[in-house]
This record gives sequence, structure tokens and C-alpha cells, in this order.
Amino acid sequence: MNLNLIRKTVSDRWRGISVYAGGLAAYVLFLCALYPTFRKALAVKQFFAKNYPQALLKFFGVKSFDVSSFNNYIVLELLTIIWVVIVGAFVIGFARYMIAGEVEEGTLEFLLSQPIKRWKVLTSEGSVLAAGIAGLVVTTVLSVFIFGKAFGFRVSYAGFLAFAPLGFALFIAMAGYSIFFSALFREARRALMASAAVIFGFYLLHFAAGYSRVVDKIDYLGIFHYYDPLGVLNSGGVPVRDVLVLLAFGIALFCIALWIFQRKDIT
Amino acid sequence: MVNSVISTESLTKYYGEVRGIEDLILEVREGEIFGFLGPNGAGKTTTLRLLMGLMRPTRGRATVLGMDCWTESVSIKEKVGYLPGEVALYSRLTGDSLVRFVAGFDGRGEAEAKRLASRLELDLARKTGDASRGMKQKLALILALMKKPPLLMMDEPTSGLDPITQHVLYEVLNEYRENGTTILFSSHNLPEVERISDRVGIIREGRLVTTEKIEDLRSKRLRHVEIIFADEVPAGLDTLPGLAEFEEADKRVRLKLRGDINPLLQKMSGFDVVDMSVSHASLEDVFLEFYGQGKRETT
Repeated sequence: MNLNLIRKTVSDRWRGISVYAGGLAAYVLFLCALYPTFRKALAVKQFFAKNYPQALLKFFGVKSFDVSSFNNYIVLELLTIIWVVIVGAFVIGFARYMIAGEVEEGTLEFLLSQPIKRWKVLTSEGSVLAAGIAGLVVTTVLSVFIFGKAFGFRVSYAGFLAFAPLGFALFIAMAGYSIFFSALFREARRALMASAAVIFGFYLLHFAAGYSRVVDKIDYLGIFHYYDPLGVLNSGGVPVRDVLVLLAFGIALFCIALWIFQRKDIT
Repeated sequence: MVNSVISTESLTKYYGEVRGIEDLILEVREGEIFGFLGPNGAGKTTTLRLLMGLMRPTRGRATVLGMDCWTESVSIKEKVGYLPGEVALYSRLTGDSLVRFVAGFDGRGEAEAKRLASRLELDLARKTGDASRGMKQKLALILALMKKPPLLMMDEPTSGLDPITQHVLYEVLNEYRENGTTILFSSHNLPEVERISDRVGIIREGRLVTTEKIEDLRSKRLRHVEIIFADEVPAGLDTLPGLAEFEEADKRVRLKLRGDINPLLQKMSGFDVVDMSVSHASLEDVFLEFYGQGKRETT
């Protein structure tokens, strides 16, 4: 890694990371402010219980829908879809720019005319992305702690602390795919589309696994098979195997991207 | 004996089936300003990118300062200032931030960058995203020059600069050369190359057609001349030395002349001239007139 490049990347990207972090904190605050109404409104509770497909509940690891539990509420309203989409968008957007975006905009020619090895460029920018992911995960967890406590809810501190490494690992895996496509394609738009398509494909695969035994057998190939936020919140223990598998996905794809980038013509 | 700073052997680059450059043999000597002249698409940018290790050659080899361009590119970049042809800088960063970034690799160059910014009248506090094309070009020049490298490689350095700034740049490049910097720059502008180069390499369709000393090139300079005489047309204009084309209609004379223009001026003296224009021949004309053999070799 190269500290000089890390400094440059941070100063170039900190605004984007701050906007995402601020948005997440505001969304958690909004959910916390809304939760008392949800808990009290039986009709709403019944509506959700009736209208959430069983496969979707299974997908998120919810055995019995119960919004009287703040943990369940946060899982269903934040950690299952919205959070994955928001942080995923940040990850894909950042990674897309790392190679394909810089090639397209022409900034990579300037960057690689400096005395720095290509693997250092990718590891330095990758480390800023990893730090950004960690920052967004920590922001989310801290927001739940702070706003949950402020509103007087029963927050599973141990559960959310155990969830943080899993959330981090999920987005590291996403980053691996996104950086791989960024190295593979010359156009940033194609890299973005390919990353989004593959990740959405994994999401659908995991969803379909709830319906089909055949699909269920190959679900382990996708990253969402290893992502069970409710299970972690309820158990309060870090799912070490799942975290390691997701990190392995991310690191393996990053290494392939590095191999491609080392040989890539900058035109 | 003069050392070669840049040397290529049969350097070839194909983009799939498309030719970039083919069997390019180029030598740039220590301490000279070498102009790399060619029309758009001739392979100038490809050559510079290969020399900077931004691309791998399809075949052949290139060395810069005795180091292999692909395998030792990082060591080369420690000693080379590079100006890309299409200047693209991080739009959210200011000139100051970029100067600090470039200086941050080895701690050199910030003072020189400030001196150059003052010379080129550039405000480094401005974000590059808010800068005009000319200002971006000035900043990119500063970033390439600020470490006073032993070798400068610049792709179309005056692109987007106003004539006054171009003049300042020529002065700066001469000062760098006097301090021992070797300069390779590409251009499609013949008068510009003539003005500042010691030698010139002419590339066309991916091949180096010729390498000339600048004095030799000047002797072959081709001009388009058009003169309107008030009364009669002087005799003997159609037998001028270096005449490539001659056309006379009424009191108007059009001619293409290579080399020295003084014999024409001598013939005109004593005759009443209504109007006269002299323009440099296009690069394509130069190729066709003087390097026709090179053209046939490449087609």
C-alpha cells in the first residue's frame, strides 16, 4: 500500500462516504422514530404478517414475524434490503471507479505515470474502500445503539456487535466482484451493470432457494447464503465460518482483479 | 559519445487487429529536445504510452534511461516527467492537492511547482473540475515539470494553451534543456517542432518515416505562397530553386516552394505587390513532397 495514494483517495472520496454515512444514520433515526407506531398498530403488524411471503421471511431467517422485537424490526426494515442496497450501491460505485472509471475518465494515465506499482494502486484504493465499508457498518450499528437507547428500545448490543463483522464481510465480498468487473471492462457503465447483475442474481438465487430444493443445493455459491442477520442478532455470536467464507470470496476476486490489472493496457 | 536516453527496437503495438505502431526504431539522445511529429492517429501517443509502461508492446522492446519500459517502469517513472495527450485530472481536487500528491512520492518538487505556477499564471487553489481546458493543461505541465526530471515526455504539450503561454512554455523547456533535461515531445504542428527541437522524428501510419536534424528539415520546408501583383508578374518565378508547383493566372501567382524563400523575395523586388500570403504546408504535404518513399513503404 502507498500512504500518499491513500491520502489522495480519501481526500477525493470522503464527501461521498460522509453522505452515505449521514444518510444511513438519518434512516436509522427515521426507523426508530417510526417504531413505536409500528409496535402499537396491531393492524400494521397483521398486515405485515399476512403480506410478507413465507419464503421472504425464511430468506431473512425470520421464523415468526414479531415487530414487538426491536431486533426483528431493524432486520426487516433495514438490514435485509434497504441497508444492503444502500451500502451495496456505495461499494459498486466506488469499485467501478477504481479501474474502469479511471480508465474512462483518463485519470488512470496520470496516476500510473507516477512512480507507484500497479498492485500498490489497487491495494491502496481497496484499503480506502474497505475502510469506507467499515465506516458505514460502524455508523449503522452505532446509530442503532444511540437512537435505540434514546427512544428507550431494548437493543441487543451483543447481537449488533456480532452482526458488524458479518455485514462488513458481505460488502467485502461484493467489493471483490465489483473490483473484478472494474478490472475486466473498459467502460465504467458495463462494470457497474455486471456487478449489479451478479449481486442481484445472488439475491434472487437465495430467494429462490426458499422455494426450491434444487436451487437450495447451489445457494452456497452465492454470497447471501452466508448472510443471516436475524440469526446473528438473536444468537449474539459472530458467525465465524460465514464471515471467513465471505472474506475469502472478496479476497479471491480481488486477487484475480489484481492479476488482470497488472497486465491491462491503459489507453 | 552521446548516450541514448530512449531507445526502441522493432517496437510494435497492435490493438487486436488494429495497428498502433509497427517496427518503430527510435533513438533520443541525452540533452536534446526531440520533436515527435506526425498527424493524428500516426502512433505518437501509443509510442509515448509504451515508453511510460502504460501498455505492453506486442513485440519489440524499448528502454528509457537504460531500463526496460515494461518490467522496470516504476524506476523509469521516478526519473521521468510525463504529460498525457488528453489531460484528465481528479475534478474534486485542487491544483495544490495534486501538487502535494505528486510531491508526496519522494518529497520533491513543491517549490518548483509554485515557481512554475507563478510563471504560467495559474491559481493552484482552484479545483480542477472548475478549471478551463487551458488551465488544466497548465496544471498538467506543472505536475510533469515540477521535479526537474532528467527526462520529460510530453504528448502535445501546447494543446489548449494560448499563444502567450505557449511562448512561456518554450522558454521554460529551453531552460530545462540547458539544465540537462532531455525532452521528447509529440506534436502535429510543424512550425512548433521547428521552433524548439534539435531533432525531429516523423511518424506516419505507425512507422518512423525519417529522423532529421532541424536544420535539414528547415531546408526542406514547404510553403504555400500567393502573390497578387499590381502590374506585371516578374519573369523567372517558374524557375525558382525548390519550386514544387507553379500556377499563374492574370496578375495572381500561386506557388509551392521548399527551402529558402529569399530567391523569391529577390525576384519580387522592384515590382508592385498588391497582396501576398505565405503559409506553411500541411504535414500531409510535407510527407507527400519529401517522404513519398516512406509513404510507399507503409502502404
